[in-house]
Amino acid sequence: MARLTVVAEERDRAGGDANLQVDGVTHLFETVDGPLMAVTDVSFTVEEGTFVGLVGPSGCGKSSLLQMMAGLLNPTEGRILIGADEIREPKPAEIGVVFQESSLLPWKTARENVEFPLYLRGVDRAQREKAALEMLDLVGLGEFAERRPHELSGGMKQRVAIARGFCQDPSILLMDEPFAALDEQTRMTLGDELLQIWDRHKKTVVFVTHSLTEAVYLCDKVLVMSARPGRILKEIVITLPRPRTYEMMATETFGRLRAEIWELIRGKDRP
Amino acid sequence: MSGAGRVPAQIGIVVAIFLIWEVVVQTGVANPRIVPPPSQVLPTAIAMLGDTQVLYHLWITSAQVMLAFVLVAPIGVAIGLLLGESDYFGRAFKPFFYFVASVPKSVFLPVFILAFGIGFTQKVAFGMFQAIFVLVISAIAAADSVSADYLKMARAYGASRRQIYKDIYLPAMLPVIVEGLRLGMIFNITGVLFAEMYVSRAGLGHLVSNWGMSFEMVNLFAGILLAAVLSIAVNETLRWYETRVGSWRG
Repeated sequence: MARLTVVAEERDRAGGDANLQVDGVTHLFETVDGPLMAVTDVSFTVEEGTFVGLVGPSGCGKSSLLQMMAGLLNPTEGRILIGADEIREPKPAEIGVVFQESSLLPWKTARENVEFPLYLRGVDRAQREKAALEMLDLVGLGEFAERRPHELSGGMKQRVAIARGFCQDPSILLMDEPFAALDEQTRMTLGDELLQIWDRHKKTVVFVTHSLTEAVYLCDKVLVMSARPGRILKEIVITLPRPRTYEMMATETFGRLRAEIWELIRGKDRP
Repeated sequence: MSGAGRVPAQIGIVVAIFLIWEVVVQTGVANPRIVPPPSQVLPTAIAMLGDTQVLYHLWITSAQVMLAFVLVAPIGVAIGLLLGESDYFGRAFKPFFYFVASVPKSVFLPVFILAFGIGFTQKVAFGMFQAIFVLVISAIAAADSVSADYLKMARAYGASRRQIYKDIYLPAMLPVIVEGLRLGMIFNITGVLFAEMYVSRAGLGHLVSNWGMSFEMVNLFAGILLAAVLSIAVNETLRWYETRVGSWRG
């Protein structure tokens, strides 16, 4: 695949072992009322090829944490590593980010949006187009390649955003509440499609969400964060087998895992 | 309505207005000494376009409008972008522009006459003064319209500062800026014509004002028609461009 050759040289440099490691990370925001602790002393490891969820009450710093993993923010203390490399700035060849659909550039077509990361790196036009069309086909939007975002539905736009995240074939994919703006049905469908793509490409995924059902359904492991300042309360291993199916949602295990996460999130705030 | 059906309907409205105008004057409902019929005004307006005297005045007005626009557009847009993007300058100076924008600029005209005389320079300066506020305010709006989501996304994908300006800021802001330029142009034309009508030795406003005072109603209406057609032509050209660069706004 063309897409793979595009990033082959970066991949070689990155080295094979690509666990994502968050090591004692604290982040302080400077505000007018003084410093605000967003996350405090957070450590965890995301093993290569696993699908890990990050959940917590709103404002718990999960988005800050994801931005630090993306290299958009730097930790005040601690380090974030891929293999042996510390992340201090965006590394688009290794880390892809899937944002909400509102991050699509409305003046570009679906194809141009998907190839935007490749365009930024100066990949030539023909190669870009080929990679983008391949990704749009993968998310089922091949025939909508030349449409602008305002001509697409919410679910279709989110598929474009996913295709853009996958387009450079990064080894790590960070997803910042990608389905938050979608209705429940679309959200479940997209979750399933995401799992299928993930199953074929086996990337390391960090998925921030506020939907507990989504977290249990998609993930190998769920990191539960406390209210601000965010800490990791517990890592919950999702013992459900793969491939995941809708029927699993009705199982006792699914309910127990979901309830456990809910108890953790709720417990600290309520008397 | 479809595009094909719209154009004949629009032409129909214009023709109907001229017909009603003609009928109203011919039947004596309107006094022809005050409102001459289009059957006199239209030929006079067309003849004016071949009259070197009138063309000279038209040229003066056009030159003033164009020069004022070329000077004020970059200044206004630059100030607006600075205020829109810089927290400090924005907070300090935005209120000034919002407040003064609401003051009728025409009351400042005597000041411009004292400062710049009654010639070409004064017309250009007053046209610029009329236009600058709407330019600044629309450029502020353009800067505000660039979503933080786009910037975060571009940075995450490794965009350089130059790429962020060229590939995010510019295309995101362009339709709003062009819209501001169009509004600025309308204010600019208004300012130049108004200054010419108040006191001047040349220009379309000068002619129209003189024709009015000497009761040459056919010439006056022909002059008004020329001013209207020219303004509409300029406005629609800019609007066409605005629609073209903003088609993605859906």
